[in-house]
Amino acid sequence: MTYTLIGVYSVTYAMKSKNILNNMGYYCEIERQEKNSRTGCGYVLRVRDDPQLITGILERSGIKTSGKQTVERGR
Amino acid sequence: MRQVYFDNAATTFPKPPSVAEAVKTAVEKAGGNPGRGGHSFSVNAGAKVYEVRAAAAKMFSAEPENTVFTQNCTHALNLAIKGIIRPGDRAVISSMEHNSVARPAYALSKQGARISVAAIGRSDEETVKNFRAEITSGVKCVICTAASNVTGRVNPIRKIAEMCRSEGVCFIVDGAQACGTVPISLGDGMNFLCTAGHKGLYGPTGTGLLISDGKYALKTVIEGGTGATSGELEQTGFMPERLESGTVNTVGILGLGQGIKYVETMGMQRIRAHEEELCDILIDGLKTIDGAKVYRRGERFVPIVSFNIEGIPAPALSNALSEQGFALRGGLHCAFLAHKTLGTLPDGTVRFSPSAFSSEKDVYALINSLKKICKTGV
Repeated sequence: MTYTLIGVYSVTYAMKSKNILNNMGYYCEIERQEKNSRTGCGYVLRVRDDPQLITGILERSGIKTSGKQTVERGR
Repeated sequence: MRQVYFDNAATTFPKPPSVAEAVKTAVEKAGGNPGRGGHSFSVNAGAKVYEVRAAAAKMFSAEPENTVFTQNCTHALNLAIKGIIRPGDRAVISSMEHNSVARPAYALSKQGARISVAAIGRSDEETVKNFRAEITSGVKCVICTAASNVTGRVNPIRKIAEMCRSEGVCFIVDGAQACGTVPISLGDGMNFLCTAGHKGLYGPTGTGLLISDGKYALKTVIEGGTGATSGELEQTGFMPERLESGTVNTVGILGLGQGIKYVETMGMQRIRAHEEELCDILIDGLKTIDGAKVYRRGERFVPIVSFNIEGIPAPALSNALSEQGFALRGGLHCAFLAHKTLGTLPDGTVRFSPSAFSSEKDVYALINSLKKICKTGV
């Protein structure tokens, strides 16, 4: 299955993002970043839906993201 | 001897059983360090802390990221006051401030800030007029308590906020006695609302909140590990972590979550009505005691009654009450400026502050004890 990992800078933003997306019916789980970004550790949101749509929702809620990456994972 | 607790303005006691249960569960099950790892312990603890953050934010009409957990209201006020005011800045405080405002303001004045005091007047109108006279060009910040911890008087926060907004002045409110007792939120127009978690919100001691509208970025007083942007030496700019360096008080925070739920479930208005009734009973009782003086001047009050009995210094009277099984706080209540304003230095007053758990029967017993002390002396 294809997922997108969207980086956020803190656990608060990760939790807020998950709440917003889940409340809107979108799948979202929180993971720790596997590889540190330039600024150091953070969290990633694992989402299934269109990443552009998801980051748009997050940005409108004032949540800054730190990049995204598409990954393939086995079921 | 059975002890009756009437010092809830200092900290509420007892706490609701749900708070004690949440604290126990937190110790036993929420063991991870929130925001500090990707393992399930950390993520679970982070999720639970976030739940409380979101509930507190909702209660005060804030965003979760602008809701900072602190140790207490004094901590929150220090973060806000010292985060805004710099040497050379001008600031205004009210004449009824607790030391949690007056002392940081005094400390800043020694570093070159210019602090002036606006008198709380006989009426709200007079108070607003006094603030208007002090909020002149160049004032950066106004700090005012929403309700006095000595007299319980509620101040016209909304009107002061309007003035501050129109003058572009930052407004910090001390909500220690108001939050959980009277409706107050960022909707009233302040930029920062500071409060304790362990008073009207019925959380454990060691909890407080700094709530902001996000308009002002605070200079930090404490820097350190935040779990965010750890690869930079510069303190993270992301809120609330920017102001929450070090491991947060997960156990206290989860207890606070249940305290907030308790207030919401019981209803703030219902709790206040009960406490006001107990205050009225005491005030009526004090009217029957020769030489009793109640310090209540103003239009609205939170459930606090400050009083004195002629010829008995407040500390001696509270000691005598303690010996008879009643816990009331006598003295200056960490509010030198307020007592100076009231003319009650050096001994202060005796303060009665009930909670949702206080009973009428115990207030009548307190009145009888006061009468006995007046008859026999201390």
